[in-house]
Amino acid sequence: MTEIAITGAAAVVVGELAESPEAVRVRAARAERVTQLVLAAAGRALADAGLMMTDGAPRPRLGVVLGTAFGCFLTNAAYQRRLAADGAKLASPRLFAATVSNAAAGEVAIGFRLGGPAVTVTAGGAAGLLAIAHAADLVATGRADAMVAGGMDASDEALERWLADGGMAMGEAPPRDGAGILVLEPLQGARRRGVPLRGRVLGHAAGFTPERDVEAAAVRAAIVSSLEDAGVQPADLSLVIVRDVPRTAERTRRALQAVFDGTLPRVQYPSAAYGETFAAAGPLALVAALADAGVSAPFLVLDVCPSGHVGALVAAAAAGRA
Amino acid sequence: MVLAGSARAAVITGCGVVSPLGSTLDAFWDGLIAGRCAFAPIRRFPADDLDPATVAEVAGYDEDADRAGAFALTAAEQALEGAGIRIEQLDPARVGVALGTTLGGMAIFETWDAAVAAGSPTPPGLERVPYYSPAARLADVLGARGPVMTPQLACASGTAAAMLAADWVRAGRADVVLAGGTDLLCRFVVAGFNCLHATADVARPFDRDRRGLVLGEGAAVMVVEEATHAARRGARVRARVLGTGAAADATHMTAPDREGSGVVRAVLAALADAGLDPAAVDFVSAHGTGTPFNDAMEARALERLFGDRAVPVNSIKGAIGHTLGAAGAFEAVMCSAVLGDGTVPPIVGLEHPDPACEALDLVRGESRRHDVRVALSTSSGFAGANAALVLGRA
Repeated sequence: MTEIAITGAAAVVVGELAESPEAVRVRAARAERVTQLVLAAAGRALADAGLMMTDGAPRPRLGVVLGTAFGCFLTNAAYQRRLAADGAKLASPRLFAATVSNAAAGEVAIGFRLGGPAVTVTAGGAAGLLAIAHAADLVATGRADAMVAGGMDASDEALERWLADGGMAMGEAPPRDGAGILVLEPLQGARRRGVPLRGRVLGHAAGFTPERDVEAAAVRAAIVSSLEDAGVQPADLSLVIVRDVPRTAERTRRALQAVFDGTLPRVQYPSAAYGETFAAAGPLALVAALADAGVSAPFLVLDVCPSGHVGALVAAAAAGRA
Repeated sequence: MVLAGSARAAVITGCGVVSPLGSTLDAFWDGLIAGRCAFAPIRRFPADDLDPATVAEVAGYDEDADRAGAFALTAAEQALEGAGIRIEQLDPARVGVALGTTLGGMAIFETWDAAVAAGSPTPPGLERVPYYSPAARLADVLGARGPVMTPQLACASGTAAAMLAADWVRAGRADVVLAGGTDLLCRFVVAGFNCLHATADVARPFDRDRRGLVLGEGAAVMVVEEATHAARRGARVRARVLGTGAAADATHMTAPDREGSGVVRAVLAALADAGLDPAAVDFVSAHGTGTPFNDAMEARALERLFGDRAVPVNSIKGAIGHTLGAAGAFEAVMCSAVLGDGTVPPIVGLEHPDPACEALDLVRGESRRHDVRVALSTSSGFAGANAALVLGRA
């Protein structure tokens, strides 16, 4: 069993690249907004972990896993608008080439010389947590020495309009841009490198709850599995972070009540701090909790997205930090 | 984390396809073996300003606006039936879905965009637009309540789905996973590949005269199952998933690494995962799009991996076109059949092998009888994504 250390963590809500290395700034200037956010966050997290590198051969044992709800939606909308308005002969090759949700992962791999697994997943708003979970498994099974992992999303008027037209608006919080990025590596490796620990990923699980799952069985199963995976009891938790969305609030409440049976610890909603950042929400809250001196015991980040996707991840801030 | 460790293994116990060669496993396989080509002019949407306008369409499914989701659902139902699995008889939390796509509900998005531009009422079904939607539809309808994810590795997404599925099964995160890919043809994607000058009227993988790819559509879904779970049910194993790997090129966003270094790293990772070295590989299902750069890159990668050893190589993109997020899944299904049948389908469209690819033993003309114990399937996509799958005979 490999323990997973978090050695880098960064929360970014504005794609501000002033502190990024020049090679990365140049690439970011040409990239779409969600990629700029991730480049800024990944740069800070890698520097945090002492793994910053922007030239030389790709490092085959370092990789990236990113999660996103809507990926390249903004680029898709811009490309499609022009295609529909001007016809196929005037379609934009520059925009079309960026209509892939893995563009950010590709740019991170190029910018920071990561030659290992470059994986992007979408699973609604739970995608960021599930990306961290998958990266943790890649590290735990010895497939990588370190992974950049987290969630990202960016929104604009087209996305907001589409969400509203489809009755898919998440809740009261206004949509915002965000990227929450961690660096994960084996605890032993981190100790060998002598880098400060930000925390540990203890366990995780995923599930799927359709609207008719009124008893929230799938949510409950994911929470229970994540705690078992982490080897912790419900009473051991100091904090639960959940997505605050009216459409899944009742299922979330039922599941938490069933698992914690009246002993529910403090509950936090990332949207209160960041607005609705979709797949970045869970990772952003995770980064904040790692930095919160008050959170010393394990905590659960739970995401029950209206799409049905469920992510549950148990982490702990580094023991002994002030 | 309490990972289950090396005691668990992943096997493929069911396969289903909705393909341009037909929407049963038999029609798909028979078409591939016969060297049939499914290319024809676009029928289903306005194509006056699309050039080339040759594609490989799937017949039917006209009534469902979520075409990619509908393809995937049919393919998944076939796979479950073939595996003899009824999800309601399993613990649903132990059943997952990993389904790649590059377009999702893009045709619905096109309709929405047109309605917004015209100021008319917007269409229903907008929740089927996102890339995560086809996987969510499968989970919802079929009752999977475990991990549900949509890998986004552009044209390597189908292979990445099999990778995720096998990784979950081996790590103990699921016992059964519906794994595959689905994509549909629409103006968005045809115009896009056309404006990149990546398309042609005929796909000629590894041919000296290759000019580009032909787009296709469809879905391929496999049941990836834990080996003991399958054995307990007495299920027929079609193939074993021996290893998976992924690697970034980390060189360029749209052009492949000329040396194929990302592919080499992905394959070596998958072989290391399988505990094998390149000498064990009996057959390669290449990405083989028929674009000048891709095929040259792959030839270089395979040469670096296998040296002078002649390993039979094919690509099915000359037959069913490049089905994007479904391509790797179709190729994994094809590899499973090759392992079971001992026949390798030919590369349709290949007439004059590119001298730059002469190190490869390209299967052309007729299908070839060949004893395959270990098959390798590779996929590559935009943003320098590469994924590789090593499958073994049951």
